[in-house]
Amino acid sequence: MDEIIYMNFESSPSFLLFIFFGTVTVVTALSVIFQKNPVVSAVSLVFTFFALAGIYGIMGALFIATMQVLVYAGAIMVLIVFVLMLLSQRTETLSRYRKHPIRLVLLSLFALCFFFLLYSALTTGVPHSEQKGKGYELTEYSFPIQGTGTINAKGNVASVGASTYLDYLLPFEMISILLLVAVLGAVILAKKRLTEVEQTKDNVL
Amino acid sequence: MNQFINGIPVSYILGLAGILFSIGVLGVLIRRNIVIIFMSVELILNSVNLVFVTFSKALSHISGETIVFFVMAIAAAEAAVGLALVIAIFRHKKSTNVDELQSMRW
Repeated sequence: MDEIIYMNFESSPSFLLFIFFGTVTVVTALSVIFQKNPVVSAVSLVFTFFALAGIYGIMGALFIATMQVLVYAGAIMVLIVFVLMLLSQRTETLSRYRKHPIRLVLLSLFALCFFFLLYSALTTGVPHSEQKGKGYELTEYSFPIQGTGTINAKGNVASVGASTYLDYLLPFEMISILLLVAVLGAVILAKKRLTEVEQTKDNVL
Repeated sequence: MNQFINGIPVSYILGLAGILFSIGVLGVLIRRNIVIIFMSVELILNSVNLVFVTFSKALSHISGETIVFFVMAIAAAEAAVGLALVIAIFRHKKSTNVDELQSMRW
C-alpha cells in the first residue's frame, strides 16, 4: 500500500488533485449536514457538487463533469435555494460575513484557489491526451451502421451519446415521460386552490 | 479491470463514494429540517453517480456513464416533486420540521 501511494505521488499530478477534491468533498458534505443555517448548507452543497465535477474531470468523464455543473450545481441548487428563500424561516445571517473582513477575504481566497485547481484538473490531461496514464484515455464505442458494419465513436461525448441513443433509447424516452409527469405533479401540488385564496382574503380583511 | 484510473487507485474512489453515502445517510437520520434532508438525499445520489463513473472507467465500458444521466434525471424529478410537497406542507403547518408532521399517525 505504501508503495502505491509513493508511486502515485511521484508519477501523477492527478492523484494529488484527487486527494484535494476528495478532501473538499468530504469536508463540505459534513458542513452540509452540520450547519445550523440552511442557506450555508446549500452553499456547501454547491462546493460538494463542484468538487465532484473535478473528480469526474480527473477520471476523464468530461461530459458528466459538465452535466454535474449544469444540472446539479445549476438547476437543482436554484430550486433548493428558491424554496429556502420562500420559506424564510429566520432572518438570514449571511450578512455577518461583511462584519468580519478577514473571514471574507479568506473565503474569497479559498474560492479563487478552488477555481484554479478545478481548471488545472480539467486541463492536466487534455494537452497530453495521447500519453498513457497522464492524459485522458480515449473512450471508444463501436456501434453498427447499416451496410458498413461497425464504426467507432471516438471521445467521451460521442461515446456517451451513441450509447444513449443506441442501447438505451427506450429508457431515455421513459425518463422524458417521467420528467413531464413530475413537472405536472409539482405544479398541481404547489398551486394554491381558489377557495383557499378567497379564505385568506377574508381573514386578512 | 484496471486497478488505476489515471494514476488513482480504484479503491480510493470507492472509499470516497462510501464516505459520501454515509454522510448522506447520517444527514437523513439526524436532521429535522426537511430541506436539509433533501440535500442529504442529493449527496446519496451523487455518491452512486461516482460509483457508476468509477466502474465505467475501470471496466472500460461506457454504459455506466450513460446510466448517470438517468440518475440525474430522476434526482431532478425527485427534487421538483419533493420541494413542491415541502411548500404545500409548509402552507398548512407553517413549519418545515419533520417531527411536527404527524397527520398520518394512528
